Amino acid sequence: MKESQFKAARDLPSSHILGAGTAMCAGCGGLGAVREVYDVLGKDTIFVNAAGCMTLLSVYPFTPFRGSWLYTAMASAPAGGQGVRDALDIRLEQGSLRKDEDLQVVVLTGDGTANGIGLSATSAAIDRQLDFIYLCYDNEGYGNTGQQTSAATPHGARTATDPETGGMPGRKKDLFAIWTANRPTYAATVLAAEPLDLARKIETARSLSGPRLILALAPCPPGWGFEPSRSVEIGRLAVRTGIFPLKEYIDGRVVHNRIPHPRLPVEDYLKPQQRFAHLFEPQRDDKRIGEIQAAVDAYWLEVENGHA
Amino acid sequence: MYRIRFHGRGGQGMKTASRLLGTALFKSGLEVQDAPRYGAERRGAAMFAYVRADRQPIRERGNVVSPDLLLVADDTLFQVPVAGVMAGVTAETVLAVASTTSEMIWRDRLKIANPIYLLPHSEVVADDDFPDVSAKIAGAAARLTGLVSEAVLLQAVEEEIAQFGPKAVKLNLHAALEGFQAMAAGEGSVRESADLPADSYEKPEWIDLDLDLAATAAPNIHAAANSVQVRTGLWRTLRPVLDPKICGKCTWICGSSCPDGVIGVDAGGYPEIDYDHCKGCMICVVQCPRHAIAAIPEQEAVDALEKTKTAQLKGMPS
Repeated sequence: MKESQFKAARDLPSSHILGAGTAMCAGCGGLGAVREVYDVLGKDTIFVNAAGCMTLLSVYPFTPFRGSWLYTAMASAPAGGQGVRDALDIRLEQGSLRKDEDLQVVVLTGDGTANGIGLSATSAAIDRQLDFIYLCYDNEGYGNTGQQTSAATPHGARTATDPETGGMPGRKKDLFAIWTANRPTYAATVLAAEPLDLARKIETARSLSGPRLILALAPCPPGWGFEPSRSVEIGRLAVRTGIFPLKEYIDGRVVHNRIPHPRLPVEDYLKPQQRFAHLFEPQRDDKRIGEIQAAVDAYWLEVENGHA
Repeated sequence: MYRIRFHGRGGQGMKTASRLLGTALFKSGLEVQDAPRYGAERRGAAMFAYVRADRQPIRERGNVVSPDLLLVADDTLFQVPVAGVMAGVTAETVLAVASTTSEMIWRDRLKIANPIYLLPHSEVVADDDFPDVSAKIAGAAARLTGLVSEAVLLQAVEEEIAQFGPKAVKLNLHAALEGFQAMAAGEGSVRESADLPADSYEKPEWIDLDLDLAATAAPNIHAAANSVQVRTGLWRTLRPVLDPKICGKCTWICGSSCPDGVIGVDAGGYPEIDYDHCKGCMICVVQCPRHAIAAIPEQEAVDALEKTKTAQLKGMPS
């Protein structure tokens, strides 16, 4: 593979093509990821956006994009992406669009769509080998409507669905594993707070064709309950505690880009977030914290043994 | 019927304030409505909440158009037209404002003769997760209505805040009490106003608005990134201000950490913050390795800029 144009953080773009003035919350980890992805993909990108927080990106008559944006219902963004890709292909074939005018099709969805309502349309798009990038901003809940539980809500996190219970009883669905089980061209996990790693992965994704997943953890100040100023710090803690592994799937193999060492205890990540406050107050819930830690430990043991 | 309106910014807890007051009034034997009203549901955005209380069942619905008691948690909101703080204020409306500016000055600024009560600054510093202004302002409102006893107020706070844990309860009890005690002079000064009969409704006056520039009224929807016409800088309550003497010009750090991408690089290689769009998340303040960016209250920053401008103007030869 070609050497990356992003060798160090100082190589990251210093001006950005995504326009300011969007209605996303201050400190939005999802907006940061979208901005960084767009910087690397460039203006010849068309976004097909499923309903979600990012609905607010492009509110008529304003848009932060430099090209088209297509808005779809939650379940149908990959189908919208297929329509756009087909139209582009037909025009390329007819010669009404030059090859250098071709656009990258990016489906943009939240985790509620990606793990739930939109999953079957996504699976079918991978089956058809649709040439698209699927960018999921994962804020671990239905953020736009006040953070209700989604299939990506982590174990023990309280949401608006169950504000007074022990939080999410289940486990966060593993979207990366679902995708890689479908053998896409590429899949990667990214984070706005790790812009260099993100830029390199988008560079790789850009150079490939076929179905490609970019799964971006999106720290959410109002939904997770922390001050907007801590958004980047919370994201980095997700990586350093091993809760959010930075990895990519390429040529049929999963590679971990960073193995946190030493791995910080999960409570360093949990404690600053209001959604996990019930694990620490009024009494410390050692059982629950232990469960979360054990799941993370088991994951990295698998990685060290070469099974993940 | 008593009609009470709270104005604040998203994150200050005006929804909670209306809820606390509503519960306290309900426990005092009144029929109650309380509801928040948001534009965009996000931190820093102007929002309001309202409470109605009556000894009879309440049939009125919707926003409180003309408040008997108006409470303002952030005095910078008076200048924000869309916040509509003064909407429907009559000569009878009692005002309570969290502010360090005197009531005399407020009467002068707002051109009203109404009683204005000032909410004191906290003795305890609130922690980030639990802004204490909501309980304080609810306590103040309770006293001004004269309908709620101290014991009932505290009971309401205890009940409503319990879900956030004992630390939050303690902080809010203290704040509610502080607000309640500070309003001793105005106890019961709020007068309930009569129900308006439906036929008293007057159509609002027809207003002819000046035409906006075409570019504003109908922006070019095919233009690239025209979202920059939206000034999200108005969201800010704190302003990140760079000290170039400390700055190490590692602009890729603050630049790439800004979710909105509003930190560029100026000709001298320093980061340049676009205040028209900076939403005031303060990530750059936290991320700057040299601590060269400070968080300054927006009003202070604006006042300081005005002063500099005036000084420059005065220094200029006429």
